[in-house]
Amino acid sequence: MIEAFGLTKRYGDKTAVDDVSFTVKPGMVTGFLGPNGAGKSTTMRLIVGLDHPSAGKVTVGGKRYEDLKAPLREVGVLLDAKAVHTGRTAENHLLALAATHGIPKKRVAEVIALTGLESVARRRVGGFSLGMGQRLGIAAALLGDPATLILDEPVNGLDPEGVIWVRTLSQALAKEGRTVFLSSHLMSEMALTAEHIIVLGRGRVIADAPVGDIVARAAGGAVNVRTPDGSKLTTAMTKEGATVTPSHNGLLVVTGLAAPRIGELAARDGVVLHELSTDAGTLEEAYLALTADEVEYHAGGLQ
Amino acid sequence: MTTTTAARQPHLTFGGILRSEWIKLRSLRSTLWCYLIFVVLTVGFAALVAVALPTDGSTGGRGPVDASAGVEPTWLGVATVGVAFGQLVIAVLGALVITGEYGTGMIRSTFAAVPKRLPAIAAKALAFGVVTIIVSTVALVASAMISAAILTGRGLTLDQGDPSFWWGIAGAIGYLALIGILSLAIGAILRVSSGSIATVVGIVFIAPIVLSLVGALTRATWAFNVAAFLPSNAGGQMYAYEPVASSEGGVLTLDATQGLLVVLAWVVVSGIAALVLVKRRDT
Repeated sequence: MIEAFGLTKRYGDKTAVDDVSFTVKPGMVTGFLGPNGAGKSTTMRLIVGLDHPSAGKVTVGGKRYEDLKAPLREVGVLLDAKAVHTGRTAENHLLALAATHGIPKKRVAEVIALTGLESVARRRVGGFSLGMGQRLGIAAALLGDPATLILDEPVNGLDPEGVIWVRTLSQALAKEGRTVFLSSHLMSEMALTAEHIIVLGRGRVIADAPVGDIVARAAGGAVNVRTPDGSKLTTAMTKEGATVTPSHNGLLVVTGLAAPRIGELAARDGVVLHELSTDAGTLEEAYLALTADEVEYHAGGLQ
Repeated sequence: MTTTTAARQPHLTFGGILRSEWIKLRSLRSTLWCYLIFVVLTVGFAALVAVALPTDGSTGGRGPVDASAGVEPTWLGVATVGVAFGQLVIAVLGALVITGEYGTGMIRSTFAAVPKRLPAIAAKALAFGVVTIIVSTVALVASAMISAAILTGRGLTLDQGDPSFWWGIAGAIGYLALIGILSLAIGAILRVSSGSIATVVGIVFIAPIVLSLVGALTRATWAFNVAAFLPSNAGGQMYAYEPVASSEGGVLTLDATQGLLVVLAWVVVSGIAALVLVKRRDT
């Protein structure tokens, strides 16, 4: 269980994380989604005490990370694949980390096998590909068999097989009752991996809900209505608080009113309906809708 | 969780952190190279000077070591002549031990495992200090034995049990460990290898030269007196032969204990600054 209370981090006059509060619950995979620069990595660094908050606090299992008796057994963290000395072998890197907590060598061999690093374990990390570095980072995170896992962009640089491996592993660990918190800027991966999603934009939480709800909220509001008697129905729907946007071929896109109610209104007023459908939407669309205003640097077209 | 059945759960201990730092130190090639170069420099210079030293006193102190000053003091001068160069290698390694972690991002793994941070830095300094003492002991005892053999072969009669000589050797070993830890502290303050190494070389090697030039050219005693408190000059008194404190003509000379205290002061002041910054800074 990770709990953030009014967590704020400022660097100079730039606010990277702005009064963020959330709870990451055990037993499921929680996705941490947001565009690059939204403050995801900063938040994760704050959780494990690498950065000090400007205000607020964050706890893991009810305690500040710094106060944990055995941090590696409570929290496994992958911050970025580069948190390793390039001149040391993967095995020695893991042995050094394990030694701090008296974690036996046997466990080091286990995580090397689990992450498929056997063939490169005695090679120096400087020559590792991004994917191998990522696997080593995950191996380090798993070292203490922790109750909470925090993985920042874990699928970054992994091949498709590795992506599926991270997905399966995260879900399996969550099923064992652990807290699994992983960040990504790729919503498609999150849709497959996470059960619950926290969306961050410009340092603020802009959504915190189950995956299904997030999809429903952004896309489920939109109902497609096709009718030869558009003006009459529009008046009726607007009266109930809906926003009606006429589209091509007499299509009306209605938000703020559910499809069943629209059907009722049409029946009451005797309006013929040619189409009445809820836009199922995707997490992708939901995410883009949520973060449209929050992306710091749009890929603006050439003027 | 899956493995909560073990009677004694692994947890963070200082002994564990110390073992971790020892693994880190011995698993890098730079460590092996630096220590090897250090031993070769220290022993090599001692042997070289022992061979080349004029032993009849005829050059009147023009050589690096003046044999006319006495046999045991000469022997100590010869055995420790490589320390002036060897200390630079130890200082570079001391800085790299910590700046290498900042440069590669390893420090984040270190501090995630040891979130209170200071035990990790203390263990790092302790592991590096102990290994440096062991390696320096090997290098200096070898230098003493080899230079003794060469000098004896050249007709000098040495008292190989002279306590003042061995106090000087002990002083050199202690000085090397302290300069290494001073350098580690500077590395922790600056966090970048290049800047830290430049700073240490500046303090240890360049500042004494500049100050003695200023002193020699302007006859300003303050320049000599400031120079006396630089770590390399104060440390030099730790491995000088029976240095006597004096202030003749307004120029200060420290004895061995005072030299040790001055070097310790450098280590303590920069060490405290390093610990405060490491604790407070974001990583």
